[in-house]
Amino acid sequence: MSSSSRGRQPLKRILVYLLAFAVVAVALFPIWWLVNTSLKTPLEFLSPHVTFFPRAPTLEHYRDVLVERGFLRFLGNTALVSAAATILSLLTGSLAAYSLTRFRFPLGLDALFLLWALVIRTIPPIVLVIPLFIMFRELRLTNVRVILILAYQVYTLPLAIWMLLGFFREIPRELEEAAMTDGASRIQALVRIVYPLVTPGLAAAGIFCLITTWNEFTYALIFARIPADFTVPIAIATFITEYRTLWGSLAAGGILSSLPLLLFTVFVQRHLLRGFALRGTF
Amino acid sequence: MNKTRTRDLIARTQIGFERRIHLWLLLPAALLFLLLTVFPIIYNGYISLYHFAFIRRVFSFVGMRNYSVLLQDRLFITSILNTLQFVLLATAGEVVLGTALALLFNVRFRGRRALLPMTVLPMMLPTTVVCAVWVILYDHDFGFMNQVLKAVGLGPIRWLSDPRFALGSLVLVDIWQWTPFVLLVLLAGLQSIPDYLYEAAQIDGATPLQMIRHITLPILSFHIRFVILLRLIDTFRIFDKVYTMTGGGPGYTTETISLYIFREGFRYFNLGYAAAASIVMLLLVLSLSILYARRMWREIRA
Repeated sequence: MSSSSRGRQPLKRILVYLLAFAVVAVALFPIWWLVNTSLKTPLEFLSPHVTFFPRAPTLEHYRDVLVERGFLRFLGNTALVSAAATILSLLTGSLAAYSLTRFRFPLGLDALFLLWALVIRTIPPIVLVIPLFIMFRELRLTNVRVILILAYQVYTLPLAIWMLLGFFREIPRELEEAAMTDGASRIQALVRIVYPLVTPGLAAAGIFCLITTWNEFTYALIFARIPADFTVPIAIATFITEYRTLWGSLAAGGILSSLPLLLFTVFVQRHLLRGFALRGTF
Repeated sequence: MNKTRTRDLIARTQIGFERRIHLWLLLPAALLFLLLTVFPIIYNGYISLYHFAFIRRVFSFVGMRNYSVLLQDRLFITSILNTLQFVLLATAGEVVLGTALALLFNVRFRGRRALLPMTVLPMMLPTTVVCAVWVILYDHDFGFMNQVLKAVGLGPIRWLSDPRFALGSLVLVDIWQWTPFVLLVLLAGLQSIPDYLYEAAQIDGATPLQMIRHITLPILSFHIRFVILLRLIDTFRIFDKVYTMTGGGPGYTTETISLYIFREGFRYFNLGYAAAASIVMLLLVLSLSILYARRMWREIRA
């Protein structure tokens, strides 16, 4: 199809553009509506006249959300938990991926491990939450951040392992072996030779881990029971269920909680596209 | 003498460590998996045999009673049916639309590279923010959706609180959010089709529609089957949208399995009973898990 449709026929070209713009409009309009609502005065968004741009733009909702409702704290919680969970997964996941690509295991342990990582991807998170809840209680673990960093491994660790596997496989063994004949231990070879070469893989896997954990809902809802521990998705959910018509603040909160990740995504887009080719399959 | 022996011992442990280093390297990840996934599943099976009321500290063996009560609970059955309805409608919508969009974006036109990231923006938002967007759009009195309906002469709809529409409204939100994902996966699949296939077909005088039907779709169907599987798995766990947008209402018309487990476990603290429901949910998703694991496994081995 690609060769037939470089757009020689003008009618077809117009049709393609019309469709593409319609699609973009449907994708973007709701997001624009959120921005729009966040900048309007309550008088305006609750008026029967639809306005596509705010008539008297105001930042009062942003002030309300950041100052009165403590969104900075929620953003901080989310960033901390998200970053720590990602680092933990990259660390343990890369060690595992390295080991799995370099050694043979007895009893098909490696295959079992990898298969299990795949199965985890399909388990609904709610299914694990009751045992996890009891377990963290029995372990007297009360720090919600620590709990979430651990619980998020359910999502991020299989992701990290599967994404890193390909990157580790690409690195020729000879490189480490050369270092080891020169007297380096395996750990030294791993740290000095292998890790620098898999940084693109770590970046790609890290991005997906960050996105997943930043947006996570189920575990955050169950373990963060007081506002001081909320992550942004939970803050937004509470906002929706408790103050249904405070739209301005809800919209401002929504934008503030998506923005860091969106900016980050734009910033790392190249990595992201490469990662997606891999993850499209995960 | 003693010194050399100690040195010897250190050297030997070092060699032992190096020899088992593959196990040591795998250990942290394996421990996390055991602690956070294997143990919870086994423990679920165990406490599902008990009456376990967390707050009153009751823990007594009841055998299979939780399961028999569960399967006779009309609400649980409703939640399964609602979940299946949501899963089928959302997956069908996303895959049909996503396929169409992938074909559209596979056409080379100017500006495609700029439009594609905008199109996939919805899947980059946190789901609760997506819910916020749509709660505002769906509002009965001031929401944009009803303003549009009014403009074309249709009555306002209670999108989220009319039992006839609530589940459909949630499906619509899911379609808006996740069609871009299907688009991206299928576009990657399309771009793996070599150009010479089309060129050869063109020389043989095939029309564009014939080329879609005989070249694109057969190759694409491989990727479509996979993306269907992914969407089935992901929509099956539907929780965040229901929790924030409808709370399972009106009148349990949007109650889903995840929400049911959540309520039994964390509102009523009937942990044994909720664990039994978790096991049932796990069994329901099992066939999808096997299909997924098999497919991925083959891909890696290939």
